[in-house]
Amino acid sequence: MRPPLLAPTRRIFELALGEMLWARRTVFMAAAAGAPVLLAIVTRLALENGSSVLIINGGRVDSEAMFGTAISALYLRFIVPALGLFYGTSLIADEVEDKTITYLFTRPIARGAIVLGKYLAYLLCVISVVLPSVALVFMVMVPFRDMGVLFRALVGDLGLITLGLAAYGAVFLWAGVSFKRPLVAGLVFIFGWEQIALTLPGSLRHLTIAYYLQAATVSVTSLIVMIIAAVFVAMRTIERREYVLEQ
Amino acid sequence: MIVATDHLSKWYGHVSGLNDVTVALPDGITGLLGPNGAGKSTFMKVVTGQLRPSAGTVRVFGEPIWGNPSQYQRLGFCPEQDAFYEHMTGLEWVAALARLHGMEEASAVAAARRALEKVDLLDVADRKIGAYSRGMRQRVKLAQAIAHDPQLLILDEPLSGMDPIMRRRTIRLIKEWGGAGKSVVVSSHILHEIEAMTANIVLIHNGRIVAEGDVHQIRALIDEHPHRVSIRAGDPRALARRLFVDDDITSLRFEDGAVIVETPRPDAFYSRLTEIAASGEAGAIEEVTSPDDNLQAVFNYLVKP
Repeated sequence: MRPPLLAPTRRIFELALGEMLWARRTVFMAAAAGAPVLLAIVTRLALENGSSVLIINGGRVDSEAMFGTAISALYLRFIVPALGLFYGTSLIADEVEDKTITYLFTRPIARGAIVLGKYLAYLLCVISVVLPSVALVFMVMVPFRDMGVLFRALVGDLGLITLGLAAYGAVFLWAGVSFKRPLVAGLVFIFGWEQIALTLPGSLRHLTIAYYLQAATVSVTSLIVMIIAAVFVAMRTIERREYVLEQ
Repeated sequence: MIVATDHLSKWYGHVSGLNDVTVALPDGITGLLGPNGAGKSTFMKVVTGQLRPSAGTVRVFGEPIWGNPSQYQRLGFCPEQDAFYEHMTGLEWVAALARLHGMEEASAVAAARRALEKVDLLDVADRKIGAYSRGMRQRVKLAQAIAHDPQLLILDEPLSGMDPIMRRRTIRLIKEWGGAGKSVVVSSHILHEIEAMTANIVLIHNGRIVAEGDVHQIRALIDEHPHRVSIRAGDPRALARRLFVDDDITSLRFEDGAVIVETPRPDAFYSRLTEIAASGEAGAIEEVTSPDDNLQAVFNYLVKP
């Protein structure tokens, strides 16, 4: 008889949420989310007399462009993949490395519930830190008079960042469930493969997450399919895989 | 039989962890004995469904355990590793794990309190596990294994790191569980620990079951083999000469002033030794010790390569 999924998922979710607050990676997440806010404050202070235009190399950059650059260059290219990598890979791999996975595996719950509960806790955790960071950057960088015009863009960006966190987190969750040293492979994927594939002609760029997060080629459907598939495969993998804890 | 394996083998790549193990563990307390690296932990991990058999089968309560999580409702496991969520208090941790058995928050906390009380940790239940001593950490592991009141407890080296008083209390606790109709499989590499809990033992070495059954039956196994006796006498050389008269000894040597003999017929030998002592031919017999009288020696003998 297949054990229920929802109730154990909720309990793992609650347990994992508490764990994440104490995880070593929390400091990294706080720094990653806080850095753009600090950068925005510095940039804003650099603007003269509250002007919404910054002169960079003789060119005029307005507040909308500055905010757009922050989203694409800082959040989507760096913070979102990095958080997805460091958290996603650690969700199961840390429990295996710390040998605490035994306590979860010897409970009357489907192993898939462990994966799903931890993934949902990750998602809540990163969203609740990153999205306020994006909103703060918006408020700092965009002059009050322009906020109304750019608000729709902000909402769109928040949605995209949420999808990005979910997609990277899901793919790296699967990597953490499947491989012994997932962090190295993840770093190569983000800062090697994705960077190269996006510049190559042809369809190789479709084998990245970044491609579906770019403004010109954004695909919500592709991202959602990718998230569901990665989480599902991670749940199936953990059900079948045995973890030999080193003594 | 509460646990049964049939031609069970487990390999880690080319390394054999368990080798063709067929054993049936009855209800009650069973001690799993073996030196470090014998395969005790591998056996327990396979029996608790953490590892998949490479060959053969494992049945717990008559059902397979791998990929069958509903079995854990009736099973509690205390692992060997010293691993915890260090920032949680003992109560939070045991209650959180109890909740994974389907208990609501209040029931889980109550069950955790009961379990912590049984292992004498209630007074430090609200202290973080990271601040626990080694013995406390062992006991809180026991608490998480018993909180959901399982029918079968599997304990991997549960007495490791405990001080003598806690060791005695824990042994008593394990015996109480056995007496209450629960089953316990407990591993150790120290024979007298197991001996204090149960007479039903399984000896494991190099991934194989060397012997199993009642302690007395296992002891009988060695009667076919030389039995070693150390004798301190007033005149060791006279004693040696006297002992060589009969053919009930297979070897004799001097060691630290004592005469060490090996005999395949201990009963006959002891009878003759009593006669020698009474005759005074070898002076006063000051001390007679036999490592083989100790169960530790049985264990050593049976697992000797």
